[in-house]
Amino acid sequence: MNDSLRVVLAMMELELRRLRNDRTEVYTRAVQPVLWLAVFGLVFSEIHAIPTNGIPYIDYITPGVMLQSVLFVAVLYGLTLVWERDTGILKKLLVAPASRYAIVIGRSMSSGVRAIIQVLIVIPVALLLGVSFIPNPAYFVVALAILFVISGGFAALSIIVASLLKTRERFMGIGQALILPLFFASNALYPIALMPHALQVVAVFNPLTYAVDAVRGLMITGNLALLPLDVAVIALFDILMFAAASLSFRKIIE
Amino acid sequence: MTFAIDAKGLEKVYKGNVAALAGVDLEVKAGDIFALLGPNGAGKTTLMRILTTQFKPTSGEAHIFGLDVVREGGEVRKVVGYVPQETSVWSDINGYENLLIYAKIYGLPSQSRKEVIYDMLESMGLRAAAEQLVKTYSGGMIRKLEIACAMLIRPKILFLDEPTLGLDPAARIAVWKKLASFKMEFGTTVFFSTHYMEEANAYSDEVAIINMGKMVTSGTAEELKHSLRGELIKVSVSDHHVDEHTLGLIRGLKQVNSVVVADATLIVTVEDAETALPGVMDVLRSAEIPVVRIATTKPTLDDVFLRYAGTTRAPGAASTTERVEEEAGGDHRE
Ligand SMILES: Nc1ncnc2c1ncn2[C@@H]1O[C@H](COP(=O)(O)OP(=O)(O)OP(=O)(O)O)[C@@H](O)[C@H]1O
Ligand SMILES: [Mg+2]
Repeated sequence: MNDSLRVVLAMMELELRRLRNDRTEVYTRAVQPVLWLAVFGLVFSEIHAIPTNGIPYIDYITPGVMLQSVLFVAVLYGLTLVWERDTGILKKLLVAPASRYAIVIGRSMSSGVRAIIQVLIVIPVALLLGVSFIPNPAYFVVALAILFVISGGFAALSIIVASLLKTRERFMGIGQALILPLFFASNALYPIALMPHALQVVAVFNPLTYAVDAVRGLMITGNLALLPLDVAVIALFDILMFAAASLSFRKIIE
Repeated sequence: MTFAIDAKGLEKVYKGNVAALAGVDLEVKAGDIFALLGPNGAGKTTLMRILTTQFKPTSGEAHIFGLDVVREGGEVRKVVGYVPQETSVWSDINGYENLLIYAKIYGLPSQSRKEVIYDMLESMGLRAAAEQLVKTYSGGMIRKLEIACAMLIRPKILFLDEPTLGLDPAARIAVWKKLASFKMEFGTTVFFSTHYMEEANAYSDEVAIINMGKMVTSGTAEELKHSLRGELIKVSVSDHHVDEHTLGLIRGLKQVNSVVVADATLIVTVEDAETALPGVMDVLRSAEIPVVRIATTKPTLDDVFLRYAGTTRAPGAASTTERVEEEAGGDHRE
């Protein structure tokens, strides 16, 4: 167990060190969420088309945009395993004294490192655009933790998808096919009540919905009524994904 | 005595029914440098990946220093260092950081970690490049870094899948010097695959050849070469006609297996050229046939490979099967 924790931490440290040497990706990845906030957020705030319980629309979607960013990072990060399969990196890791679980979890949680950095870039932009956050550091830290943890679950989900891919072709396309439905069938951009019924059902089963609710409550609205449920769902999602990814990992390494 | 590697009846069938290993038996002595040869697709990488616990064999069993690779994988991984055939470094961090992350994964004690890493970099000749991003490294530097990484934990056995692929001769010699010194200093067993016959010849204690998932032969390089029993003596005899009677006398010599004449060259197949040569020369001299040139040819590991593993050869592993000595009685090469 101690061994496994060590491996997970080492893999997260690896990610930080890689980021330090190549920051361009962090910045290019930040363009999309910033545009969402600056264009979509500001425009819809003006026209008041979506009922958001009195908070400005741009404030409403800030957690959604953060999670979109997290989702992107996590899904693409997990899918790059398809590429690493063809290099020796994965093979060498397999021969290190680490359990397969530790490698999968370490790999997934490393995406959390990237995701948090992405989120930290979005925050000052949101502040500049006039979003008002709840000034409570404890809330803020919990929100970041939730973003970090859900990122791991999504990365594990994409590892499962990666194990089904035969080649590394089209993995960008498959990434999009995973990200966009999750994003739109959630409460990231609009309240669930506004959705057509079928989509509502999907949204209820979409872990992103719970993460958005938690982060929105902690950062913007202060409404924490559903926080325990959110946390429970996210934890369950992560555990299931880690377990399934560890099993599917065998397919990747052979 | 426990073998470093002891495998029996290893079989591996990949999905899609590719039978990569079809019953491999293997024994490698502790402290040996062991070369695994075989054409592309013979199953070398598959064998190494099973021995390093990356996946299970379809059937059969294998032990590393007495530890079962399937049931005691965790223990096996603690004594094994491994350099895969494909590049396995993180290119977007520097050389030191590559080793640091592995040191942490392996749980090297943090007080001595830095020192151990720099010592290892120093000994692989990478000290000056330690703080450089690995993407700026040459192929040889990357291979050295990978070996440094695998040696970090002082493994009892090192698995190297084509360790010198694509390296220039100087880099290859440097890598092998290092590996030999690990063997000397720590008694590290080295199990490596290669397509460079002369490397197996020069550095290994033992050689095995695998073909189509089966071990076809093994032994020391000398034993394998000798087992071909086919050394040649080629004698050029100017325009002179070699009559049937003389040929008959040569054929009659104890050591001689066969004699053919092609153009003005006599090709004599013998078991051992050095001891057979004087007899052949005596016959020619008494028949007063003027000899212009004598060459002896011994089988090389290339010949062994071709004999046992068919005609499929890896590109780039050229070698000379024949060397010529200008004078009779000149030094015969080993
Ligand atoms: N992951 C895999 N899935 C399916 N078949 C595989 C896989 N890896 C190898 N094979 C097949 O198994 C056989 C043995 O391959 P292997 O890589 O072990 O050969 P090798 O001796 O290492 O060859 P090379 O010298 O080219 O590296 C080949 O027919 C190969 O196509
Ligand atoms: Mg191979």
